[in-house]
Amino acid sequence: MSVVHERGHARIEANLTPMIDMTFLLIVFFVLVSRISEVESVPMELPRPVDPATVPPPEEGRVVLNVLPGPDGTVEGYKVGAAQFAPTPDGTAALERHLAGLLAQNPDLDVNLRADRATAYADISPALEAVAAAGRIVDRGATRINLVVVNDERRSPSR
Amino acid sequence: MIRHGAAGAISRRGRPRLSLNLTPMIDVVFQLLIYFLVSTNFALGEQVYRVDLPNREEGASDPFAFDEDPLRIELVSAGPPESGLVAIRLEGPWPRPADFEALYEFLESRRLDVDRPAGLFAADHPILVDPGPAVRWDRTVDAFNAAVRAGYTNVGFANEP
Repeated sequence: MSVVHERGHARIEANLTPMIDMTFLLIVFFVLVSRISEVESVPMELPRPVDPATVPPPEEGRVVLNVLPGPDGTVEGYKVGAAQFAPTPDGTAALERHLAGLLAQNPDLDVNLRADRATAYADISPALEAVAAAGRIVDRGATRINLVVVNDERRSPSR
Repeated sequence: MIRHGAAGAISRRGRPRLSLNLTPMIDVVFQLLIYFLVSTNFALGEQVYRVDLPNREEGASDPFAFDEDPLRIELVSAGPPESGLVAIRLEGPWPRPADFEALYEFLESRRLDVDRPAGLFAADHPILVDPGPAVRWDRTVDAFNAAVRAGYTNVGFANEP
């Protein structure tokens, strides 16, 4: 913005206000994104298979189902976003209804299953069953579930 | 005297002109921006196996029923849960693989291929991983990985834990 002086000289100034506005908007955006990531990525020790034949996770249209690890291979519950469900028949029934609601909104939704490497299969099986049952409720042919692991090599699948 | 651009400059009439130096604030803001850009990548190295769970109803006719008997990989816990030891057994007249590498080699060697017409199982032959209730998740994933790595595309889980 230039201001005309009494003597006629132009004073050149940069108007920084829009840049600061934009910067703060970006900060708010990244703060929110990082909080969402934190909600989805519950800290746990994921399986690390040798020579993994994995594929990169889908970027869009996915919901993360965390199997919350407890002591000695048990589970403390199941978590989808901010919603948490107890590892009981009532809890898994509620999880099933919750997933069915999400699948009804977006039929192409993938479910990413994150579970600790030490968790017993007996506690993960109800989560798999809940996903399949949610698919039945919304009458999907098959429900896509992605088993999340850590790929130390991060290479493309061998086939 | 008129000094342009200096903080606290004195105007022509002698009154001090207050101006805010925004440079340090913008520096800090950009530092924060870079910090959040770097720290948002929480899921570093996470990849997935894709599984389609068929929506089977109890007693209902199954449109996704297997046309052929699936090859069932049974995993049984063979020690304390924390040890992660499992015994691998293949349903049918197959040898017991000693470990997951042996399981991979068996599955890979029996896969029907253009170069290997003597193979027994087509790449889309159904393979079911059937872990016992006490089997750790990483052992289950190892069995799943062996089948996927061997080139099979129709790998799933048995219904009952």
